[in-house]
Amino acid sequence: MADALQLQKRKRLSTTLILFLALVAMVSVFAVLSKDFYSFLNLSAMLTNISFSGIVAGTLTFILITGGLDISIGGNIALTSCLVAYLFNLEKPVPAWALVPIALGLGAAIGAFNGLFITRLDLNPIITTLGTMAVVRGLGYVLTKSRSILIMEGVTGFIGRTVIPGIQIPIPLILLILTFVILYFLLGHSKFGRKVYIIGANQAAARVSGIRVNRVKFILYLMSGVAASVSGLILTGQTAVGMPQHANGVELDVITAVLLGGTALSGGKGSILGTLAGVLILGVLYNGFTMIGFKYVHIRVFQGIILILIVALYELREKKRY
Amino acid sequence: MGGQLLEMRSISKQFPGVQALKDVSIDLVAGEVLGVVGENGAGKSTLIKILAGDYGMDAGEILINGQKAVFRSPSDASSQGIRVLYQELITLDTLTVAENLFVGHLPTRKGTGLLDWRETNENARAVLRRMKIDLDPRTIVGDLTVHQKQVLEIAKAIHKKATILVMDEPTAALGEEDTQSLFGIIRGLKEQGVGVIYISHRLKEVFEITDRVTVLRDGQKIGTVRTNQASMVQLIGMMVGRELTDFYPKREVPIGETLLEVRDLTIKGIVEKISFSLHRGEIVGLFGLLGSGRMNVLRALYGLDSYDGGTIVVEGQQVSISGPDGALSQGIGYMPIDRKLEGLALGLPVSTNITMAHIDRIGGGFFLNRRLERQKAEKWVRDVSIRTPDIATEVNSLSGGNQQKIVLAKLLETGSRVFLMNEPTRGIDVGAKVDIYQMMENLCEAGAGILMISSELPEMLSMADRIIVIAKGRVTAEFGRQEATQEKLLRATTL
Repeated sequence: MADALQLQKRKRLSTTLILFLALVAMVSVFAVLSKDFYSFLNLSAMLTNISFSGIVAGTLTFILITGGLDISIGGNIALTSCLVAYLFNLEKPVPAWALVPIALGLGAAIGAFNGLFITRLDLNPIITTLGTMAVVRGLGYVLTKSRSILIMEGVTGFIGRTVIPGIQIPIPLILLILTFVILYFLLGHSKFGRKVYIIGANQAAARVSGIRVNRVKFILYLMSGVAASVSGLILTGQTAVGMPQHANGVELDVITAVLLGGTALSGGKGSILGTLAGVLILGVLYNGFTMIGFKYVHIRVFQGIILILIVALYELREKKRY
Repeated sequence: MGGQLLEMRSISKQFPGVQALKDVSIDLVAGEVLGVVGENGAGKSTLIKILAGDYGMDAGEILINGQKAVFRSPSDASSQGIRVLYQELITLDTLTVAENLFVGHLPTRKGTGLLDWRETNENARAVLRRMKIDLDPRTIVGDLTVHQKQVLEIAKAIHKKATILVMDEPTAALGEEDTQSLFGIIRGLKEQGVGVIYISHRLKEVFEITDRVTVLRDGQKIGTVRTNQASMVQLIGMMVGRELTDFYPKREVPIGETLLEVRDLTIKGIVEKISFSLHRGEIVGLFGLLGSGRMNVLRALYGLDSYDGGTIVVEGQQVSISGPDGALSQGIGYMPIDRKLEGLALGLPVSTNITMAHIDRIGGGFFLNRRLERQKAEKWVRDVSIRTPDIATEVNSLSGGNQQKIVLAKLLETGSRVFLMNEPTRGIDVGAKVDIYQMMENLCEAGAGILMISSELPEMLSMADRIIVIAKGRVTAEFGRQEATQEKLLRATTL
């Protein structure tokens, strides 16, 4: 009898493998087209740039597998940056060491709010998190009176801008790698991850099997909220400013990356390695096209088209199977 | 009574692997109510779907008023005056009574093309008054009771000039009072010369309202009798017919101490103070008609639905069941009625499905122990003889029987002592059925107890040590294995 583990892995890797091959191909093409692209400095900058959206893509993978969605992450990131900058610039500033727990607490609270309404009241996740998105970004505008607040010092600068001497790896990239390692084991090798897949495949059967569906889902939205506040801290550090316009439209990047990585919108399928590939491909696309002279707005148009193409491709592939 | 309205002659219909109807003929006279009875799978619904134009037929012919008719679609049948009221009523719940009545041809104002509400409502009031139906045309249909919706559907059918009305289990969701009201309306239809085909499991009602009864069994017509010349026993005998064989591998297992005791279980509006017990080595059957409350009892015991009162005692310990995870930790396992809906994660592998109700207790702490999982899955595939290429195969590529065995394996893997089985062999082939019966007997020998619901009478009579009959949310009778007969069971459901 064949080994279940291997068979399962072989199938999942085939999608992921294609993605990583595509990644290598893209890097090669851009390296030929632009001398500056294939430099340590540029690649390091690119990876640092994708780390804040990459982290939330990781947690969103879990949510998409259960058939849910969280589009409040951008608003969450913005409010986190506003709150941290605001507290740091008070007449009696909040001590730097307290900023990180406050930020994470805010993210957790926003995630818990989403999770509570989506599980207890069984509300539609898209609508719930759409509402939350408006609320938290709006609160960012209220808190900052629609201005940008500088935050040059302190702990956010460490998180966002420090490069570890010697190995030359920036802290955001370390955080990204750490997040993906944890999420990889959580989704692929823990009992919790297994429950996530089962809920996505058939929620009613999961319930009958004694899986506490609501609890699992609640934890996922909580994780998403916390991940968003980590991203918020990184972005605040990178830009040295707290402002309510931060991470505007990041939902598009994140959802594109996760779907590109092979996670099914209908739930039940997806992997962390796939999402990692999706995040990297998107990062290379943005960076590479910029290096060969395209403007951000052009790439944005291109990205929207890619998103629809991916969904169409996976849909066609799924149809072919049956 | 008037002339011949309908004749269905020598109808045959084959589905892949099943002869659903073989040479069945019925006829209907104007102003008559014809009952059609038979067990599940006897061919009643196939016959009706052919009459409604939903299915074509392989052989036979349909005559309406003596004229040969060919139905290629439901609209062909409805243009010949045939209307079917299915068990699940298809009303437009967000619209008014009047809109439902005239849907598709609402009166409009000349020139503007806008709806003429006054005329709509006045016409509706006239139609309803003519049929002596007390409904306000402006009521939103979603606010009506099941019975009122039914009446509305009948009114709509008659308004659209239906002469042949088919009712499929019309009283399944009705109380006694509404049933009598429905019968009043049916008698009114008879006077207008409408022919009614009345399909029901409730023989008492069949005796009350029909003029003649046609009995189907295994896709064949057994006979048609005048209702006032037939007896209940005769009808049941015609329905059941076949002798029970060794198809059921029932063994003599000694009955041990009490495993589960249920006292005064109450679910408001559904179940009223039900009490029973289950012992080690015993299979207890809960028998009842659709809507009797037997499924609610099972779901409540597993924590899928909440209950309002009563005591549940498992092995001498009073327990309160908060949800499926709580039930499982009390040693209570559940096999759902619909494997695709509640039993399986169809897109996931066999191994995942087998262990899914037991992941937390499978060992390995926070992480999944895949080696242990693989061993367990392989053991169950062997023990329950699940035919699958390997344990990594996705469940949706397996046959119904093998899927059902996976549901059983998943249940066995939980290591429960009390097994709640809701239709354990629903829609699977004979071979798989026998395998599942064998496993049930193995469980009993190992000291477990099984509480089973089955709508297949022979299965119930052959596998259950005791049968508890539930009707309208109450226990109406209890029979030991020796004394239970199909007649007694069916009669007890009408008490």
